[in-house]
Amino acid sequence: MKGKKSIDWPAYLFMLPALIIYISVIVFPVFYSLYVSLHKWNGIGEMEFIGLSNYVKLITQDDIFLIAIKNNAIWIVLTVAFITAISLGFAVILNKQFKGRTFFRGFFYFPAVIAPIAVAIIWRWIYNPNIGFINEFFGAIGLDFKQNWISNPETSLYAIFIAALWQGIGQPMIIFLAGLQTVPVEVLEAATIDGAGSVRKFIHVTIPMMKETFIIVLATLIVAALKVFDVIQGLTGGGPNNSTQMLSTYMYSQTFKYANVGTGTAISVIMVLIMIFIIVPYVSFTAKED
Amino acid sequence: MITAKKIRFIKFLMLYLILIALALLWIIPIFTLISTALKNKQDFYSGISLFALPDVLAWDNFTNAITQGRLLTYMKNDLIISGFKVPLGIFVESLAAFALTRLNIKHRTKWFVFFLIGMMLPMQTALVPINVVYNKLKLTNTYFGLFYVYVGFGISFGILILRGFMKGIPKDIDEAAYIDGCTKWQLYYRIIMPITKPAVATLMITDFLATWNEYLLASVIINDNAKKTVPVGLMTFVGEHGTDYGYLCAGVLISVIPVLVVYLAFQRYFVEGMAGAVKA
Repeated sequence: MKGKKSIDWPAYLFMLPALIIYISVIVFPVFYSLYVSLHKWNGIGEMEFIGLSNYVKLITQDDIFLIAIKNNAIWIVLTVAFITAISLGFAVILNKQFKGRTFFRGFFYFPAVIAPIAVAIIWRWIYNPNIGFINEFFGAIGLDFKQNWISNPETSLYAIFIAALWQGIGQPMIIFLAGLQTVPVEVLEAATIDGAGSVRKFIHVTIPMMKETFIIVLATLIVAALKVFDVIQGLTGGGPNNSTQMLSTYMYSQTFKYANVGTGTAISVIMVLIMIFIIVPYVSFTAKED
Repeated sequence: MITAKKIRFIKFLMLYLILIALALLWIIPIFTLISTALKNKQDFYSGISLFALPDVLAWDNFTNAITQGRLLTYMKNDLIISGFKVPLGIFVESLAAFALTRLNIKHRTKWFVFFLIGMMLPMQTALVPINVVYNKLKLTNTYFGLFYVYVGFGISFGILILRGFMKGIPKDIDEAAYIDGCTKWQLYYRIIMPITKPAVATLMITDFLATWNEYLLASVIINDNAKKTVPVGLMTFVGEHGTDYGYLCAGVLISVIPVLVVYLAFQRYFVEGMAGAVKA
């Protein structure tokens, strides 16, 4: 074997394929987007350098951009509050020993296997004001409660969130289940002997021991919430009247519908900046653990 | 004794009651999906409730989705792309994770963080650059073009999971293997990878799901009908046919079959393999 001081080139060879693909697909586009965002460009013709104008316009003049920021913030809060809590609850229940556990795990995970765009289509049907499930159901139990759930700007964002929640529980639930397996049985037994009830055991033993799990769940959920696209695009496309516009859908329509590619890439660069800001604590935590 | 038994019984009863209540809520969309897939367009407007079945079940929704809807073509395309993306991605990621956990690499934590950052980046940043480059290289509307991007976007999560799992494998194994004359490649291929099987199985499920269901990149890179993947193909059902929901729901149901097969095949490793993610 080689001495420790000389560089072990074959070791780097193992990393090389991942590195090449990663740089070409992830790293290069970020810088290229940054470059495009400093230009006025329709995607076909010549690029015209305009400095930070795209950013300045977005922040100072574009009301839809501000709506998108606000909606993304609401979406992140809803996701962190509800999806984390509910998926943890599911994981705790499905971690108990009982007959049919595997079935129920699979059952509640099932929505996560459907394409998000298809989930959006299903829910558009459920929310159909005339013959959708919800209004039919209220009709069937004798309540006159018909609503235009997704075409009403007041309710549409929350209506979409319900659809996202239905699908979004599966993945964090599995990660929480994996995390629950890492809590040593002996520690829980010791707590029982010390007279701790199951609620106290959960709060004072299980949750602290699942710190890593919480961090990865929160990090992935926040990232996903900032990127949310499919379910919005499929249900409302950002409407009605931009009331469900997100950074991702606005970026998409600016770039591909209105051919304001400079503005579109500027939005995507802003998304990266927000992401870095949110995610630095996570990365530094993961690095420290080493 | 009897009271303790009773308490346990009541606890179990409550557990099942909670589960069944939750299951009833969760099943609403699936119920809607199936109930809709069995109805013709006219049925909805002739006042048949969602909770009732029509006299004649509309099985032709399923055959129409396959023949007129070209669903089999979309599924074939998606299978080809996932068939390349999933194994190739896991291979590339596992090589890197192996190097990062068991080989002599300087600043390995920094390298890991560098790879991890990709998980945070929105796909949106890649849309325009990849569109520009692909137009130049003539990679739009190619299988390669799409799965190459998918491999790139999978690298961060793959390395996270595999590295977490490989870190838990004792280092003594490496030394014993080197003493027996193993090369680095043999250590990777013969010893570490077989032990890493649960994490690989987990990645197979999550990767296959993510690839099979991805919409945004697929809709931008592929616009040739003959090359579209399932999610993009399903969206053509919405446009082309004035959204016949029965037909669309039948399409969704058929498109879920391959994912279910993969999930059921690998689910016994699923929770165990995910442990690689939570042991930071």
